[in-house]
Amino acid sequence: MPIAFITGITGQDGSYLTELLLAKGYTVHGSVRRTSSLDRSRLHHLYTNPEIYSQRLFLHYADLDDVTNLRRLLLKVAPDEIYHLAGQSHVGLSFEIPESTCDDTAMGTLRILEILRDLPGKPHFFHAASSEIFGSPDSYPQNESTPFRPVSPYGCAKAFAANMVRVYRDSFGMHATNGIMYNHESPRRGENFVTQKVCQAAAAIKLGLQSKLRMGDTSAERDWGDARDFVHAMWLSMQRDVADDYIIATGITHKVQDIVEIAFDYVNLDWKNFIESDPRFMRPADPKMLVGDASHAQKALGWKPTITFQKMIQEMTQASLNQLSSKSRANKNPVQD
Amino acid sequence: MTKKALITGVTGQDGSYLTELLVEKGYEVHGIIRRASTFNTGRLDPLYASPQDTNKQLHLHYGDLSDGSGLSRLIAEIQPDEVYNLGAQSHVRVSFDAPEYTADVDGTGTIRLLEAIRQAGIQPRFYQASSSEMYGKVLEIPQTETTPFYPRSPYACAKVFSYWAVVNYRESYGMHASNGILFNHESPRRGETFVTRKITRAVAHIKAGLQKKLYLGNIDAKRDWGYAKEYVEAMWLMLQQPTSDDYVVATNETHSVREFLEIAFGHVGLNYEDFVEIDPRYYRPAEVDILIGDYTKAKEKLGWEPKVRFADLTRLMVEADVKLLHDHQAGNIKVRS
Repeated sequence: MPIAFITGITGQDGSYLTELLLAKGYTVHGSVRRTSSLDRSRLHHLYTNPEIYSQRLFLHYADLDDVTNLRRLLLKVAPDEIYHLAGQSHVGLSFEIPESTCDDTAMGTLRILEILRDLPGKPHFFHAASSEIFGSPDSYPQNESTPFRPVSPYGCAKAFAANMVRVYRDSFGMHATNGIMYNHESPRRGENFVTQKVCQAAAAIKLGLQSKLRMGDTSAERDWGDARDFVHAMWLSMQRDVADDYIIATGITHKVQDIVEIAFDYVNLDWKNFIESDPRFMRPADPKMLVGDASHAQKALGWKPTITFQKMIQEMTQASLNQLSSKSRANKNPVQD
Repeated sequence: MTKKALITGVTGQDGSYLTELLVEKGYEVHGIIRRASTFNTGRLDPLYASPQDTNKQLHLHYGDLSDGSGLSRLIAEIQPDEVYNLGAQSHVRVSFDAPEYTADVDGTGTIRLLEAIRQAGIQPRFYQASSSEMYGKVLEIPQTETTPFYPRSPYACAKVFSYWAVVNYRESYGMHASNGILFNHESPRRGETFVTRKITRAVAHIKAGLQKKLYLGNIDAKRDWGYAKEYVEAMWLMLQQPTSDDYVVATNETHSVREFLEIAFGHVGLNYEDFVEIDPRYYRPAEVDILIGDYTKAKEKLGWEPKVRFADLTRLMVEADVKLLHDHQAGNIKVRS
């Protein structure tokens, strides 16, 4: 039974990947940071299942800036595959906390690569790179040989990590792969990402819990895919004999405005009555025309996206409706703690 | 009013030449030095006045690019008009042995410095010592300001990171921040473990009968070599422009290590083939084969052009090492530890 190790297991991708790997018969180990609030909602259903947790799913305390602990953990777990998904993943926030973003995302990746050099087994290594490494690209769609041109601290850190993965692959022959992932969303997307923010607001407004939604630039365009499709690509890339870089994208762009219209349409509201423009949500430098050409992944991995943008946004809005209505019911119940 | 400059890496080859240039131009120069149990200010000896000297133009402060709060404090106190970020672990081969340290200082260190400037609320002009190693496995010959990067070492990955951080802070916050993409630049002050200096020191020792063999790595690597003393002038010129930009600083000639050996040994009447042996320990895990920089932009915009070319540079370095050894033997000079 293969053993996988996941950093960032409590995140959107980590939780979907865990489900995928468990379904394929893996034993899954994940690293989690210690916090005073036990917030592992995305893993809750697995964590509370006694047939899974401590049987085939194990969580370990670790932090990307604690190299001795990581080393000890990886030596003990001796994984066949490592999926490195952890990082401060919010682009806008990386302008507020650039140093810690770089420390996690850039240095954290390097620390794991260094440990891998010394591991006796030669695990396959997946690095979750990002379309933000292209930032303001000279050409589109982008492919695996498009030059990097990051425009945020987050993009700079991811570009560093992706370059390092290439260096370690070329220099030490490591099976280290970059998945250059374009935006990918799902009902488990973090609440401060624009897709989730819009879907939750549409649901909250529908339920009378919110009156307005303040937005930055709604003409910004991105290539948005579904996280469940993307974690499948991660796994496929680890099954190949050779390590490589892959663009993981849908190849189709949508405007933020499209999210607004689909989500509000879904709850039968006219978005024009609820959206207000707020410059605080504008980024200091916004990437232009990020759209990925995933033909290499399609050819080499047989991967292609299966969930459409519209279906994904509708599903996210529905999930928000379900969540908010059960929450507001619970709030009316005095015995709820 | 006297202009103030702050230099990281002031004790290095470039830092010492730049300090001399700025002092000559009437600047008050502040340098950051790391604490070491051995003196590391040898290259600054001619300029370094005693702490009691009240008219001194050069001030040295303890600090480290890995110490963010120390940098913030120094920037706030000094309030420099110009900041030159030359501090780095600058040896490519060593970066494979100490990648995490190299990335922390050469990559994250730049972010710490840029953040310290933002926090201080001042608008100094900023120079970043970028490197031709960023081109690595070159995608274009000769390399210009628009050639995409393909870094092949932890050192190069860290320098690419810093390059983008500088571009990003320029575009996001309107900072006057420039990258000088300097190709190899040498001088009698070059560190003793760099190949040029290693060779010219060996030539002096072999000629004097104090050494028999010289062990080297890949002598077919081709580089664009210029004279460091001229390159620091390009740094200063970049910060005198009304707008910040990125510039290649090079000679537009490429020569192999082998050619350097021929001229260096030939200059003292010896044949390098009688003394040089290849030791694979000095090979890099991934080699950079050919670097050659097109400095047209620096010539047009800055009016800068290299004067000392390859053969003259080689001979100048040999003569300096022959004299240094002679002075040592005659007891005229302190041995620098």
